[in-house]
Amino acid sequence: MGPQGQTTSLQRLYLVEKRIVRVVELAGSVMDELANSTGPRTDILTTHCREFMQSIKEIQTTLREEIKSACEYRPFEKCDYSARISNEICCKKLEYIIEQLDGMQQSIDQCKDGI
Amino acid sequence: MQRPKPLPNEVLSDLSVSAATKLQRLRHLGRYFKQSSKAMEQQVSRDARFYGSLIRLQQNWKVKRQRMAAIGPGSEGFSFDLLDNSFLDLTALSRPSSISTVRVDHHYSGILSIQRPQKSCRSISLRFIGADPRCKQKSFSRKKVYSSAEHPRTAKTEALTDEDVNECVKDTHSVLCEIHQSIFEEQVFDMVNHETYNPLPGVSVTGMREDFLQLAIGQETSVCLCLVPSGKEDVSQMVDPLGDSQNGESGLLNSDSMELSIVGDDKPDFLKLSGMPNPVSLEIYLLFIFLENVLARAKERRSCPVRAQVSGQPADDSCGVLGHFCMTVAHRIFSNKVLSELESLVNGVPYIQLLSHPTWHSRTSSWSLSLKVPQSVHAARRSKISDDHYLKHGMRSQFHTKVVVKDDQINVSGEGAPSIICSFRGSSSDVFSMNCYGCDLEDLPMILLQQVASQVIRWLHEEALVVGMKASRDFLCLYFDLDHGDTLGLVAHVDPDDINGCISWWVVMDDGSAEGKKLTDYGESEGRRFLGHLSLEALYATVMDLASLCSIGGIH
Repeated sequence: MGPQGQTTSLQRLYLVEKRIVRVVELAGSVMDELANSTGPRTDILTTHCREFMQSIKEIQTTLREEIKSACEYRPFEKCDYSARISNEICCKKLEYIIEQLDGMQQSIDQCKDGI
Repeated sequence: MQRPKPLPNEVLSDLSVSAATKLQRLRHLGRYFKQSSKAMEQQVSRDARFYGSLIRLQQNWKVKRQRMAAIGPGSEGFSFDLLDNSFLDLTALSRPSSISTVRVDHHYSGILSIQRPQKSCRSISLRFIGADPRCKQKSFSRKKVYSSAEHPRTAKTEALTDEDVNECVKDTHSVLCEIHQSIFEEQVFDMVNHETYNPLPGVSVTGMREDFLQLAIGQETSVCLCLVPSGKEDVSQMVDPLGDSQNGESGLLNSDSMELSIVGDDKPDFLKLSGMPNPVSLEIYLLFIFLENVLARAKERRSCPVRAQVSGQPADDSCGVLGHFCMTVAHRIFSNKVLSELESLVNGVPYIQLLSHPTWHSRTSSWSLSLKVPQSVHAARRSKISDDHYLKHGMRSQFHTKVVVKDDQINVSGEGAPSIICSFRGSSSDVFSMNCYGCDLEDLPMILLQQVASQVIRWLHEEALVVGMKASRDFLCLYFDLDHGDTLGLVAHVDPDDINGCISWWVVMDDGSAEGKKLTDYGESEGRRFLGHLSLEALYATVMDLASLCSIGGIH
């Protein structure tokens, strides 16, 4: 599917996005907790906030790495369109030959059946 | 005047109101964050689908982006550029390809889809005039996906799985491949048209319309090249040799037009064209040579950029790529005729084998006729004698005659046909004599039969010498010296049209006074007897029987 690093990098960025979503969700839960009519439960608040800070840290690290490697990507460098055409023509040739060989095989089988 | 000091219950109620308000705002904030996270999640998965697909396609196709253009909702201005810049200046396109840029649409579910341009996916179709288009083999056409199921797929919004996205990317890739190939075939068609502006030897343009070109190659062959939508035959554009266009419909093609019947077709013409080369193979060859030509010119240009660019064809056989192609077509037709002659010949002589040889050149064909003679019976008696002995004495077990056709020149080269020099030498073992000469198609069967018959005579001569007979040979005759000074002749008679066999044998017993008269004029008589179409074993046995009639020196 392409160079391994590229796919993994995409996956990493996708994970970052999911983490951001999670972070926002956490913020919402914290707000809900704070809005609790009986008063916020500190243990839940602490866990949420810890997870929040952890995620933010991971997001920052990943983004920093990805931004560094993102600059190395250059599109359009090797245009392989002519090689693609050559290959298409080769495929056509092969398909044609296979068809001819199938025809020969059929003839041979018919001759065998005739005997 | 100062504000009156608030009473305790007022302070408390103010506090409770502000506390309640704060809690309310916190709840709002919480709801806002939750909703945002849900919306972001959906957006993230949509974008992941779209950009993931785009990145996969970008590995094979050039992607361009117009940031300013707001073409429509849900479109970020991406497009695929299918034009190869290195081809552009070499192919001298007379019309800019309108299908070279394919817009990318971003469906709201994140699925990437492309807008197929109008009149995309056309391919070159080659046809011989008079051929039935329905006979054309297109059985291996690849699965066409352009009317594909993208729409049902984008209709379902929930449960869009990874497989759906994968399928979508694969379909898009196939469509882009088809469009890309179609662009190339259009370019080839343009190049072909461009080459017709120069004079071509033996080729004339007899018809030219948009997307249609008709060429006459030589005297007898007419070929038409057209750009047709892939997978369909352009039946409505067929022109018969009289120049009248035969239209079953108004010229509009739709998928129902496959069953068009041609007005005024007559069956005998189709039978005549059974010897034509397969048009599909010629189409592939045409694309191939034009691609090679463009790549060669691009390479040349890269390696010598300083040289002044001359637009036009390189010296490719000094007749251009199209000229070479037309000569290939002419050669193929001619070599099919030669092959049918050879096949009927080999049918008529049971002891010849026909072998085809690959030449790796499109305008050269090569076959050989192989005559295998049975092993000498005397070899069994002289088991000590190795094969080298036989070779040294010029005895072989196989004779070859090679037929090479270049363009429309036939060249026959064979061994064993005695020349004048050989007959002077008499019966001594002579060197392999290779004769090489050109001939016409009409003379070919006769020449080959004479060659084969003379090879048989040569072999019999050698066998006769082995048993010690006094024998001499002369082209198609083998003479044995008899006891009383007479000469017995074994004569080969060749006739390509003889249905019982092309080579037949006569025994002639006379003293040479009837030289020059044809055998068949007299039929059987006192001095000549017809032996029939003998196999090689029977001939060998006959020669051995004749040994008892000849004066044998000292063997027995």
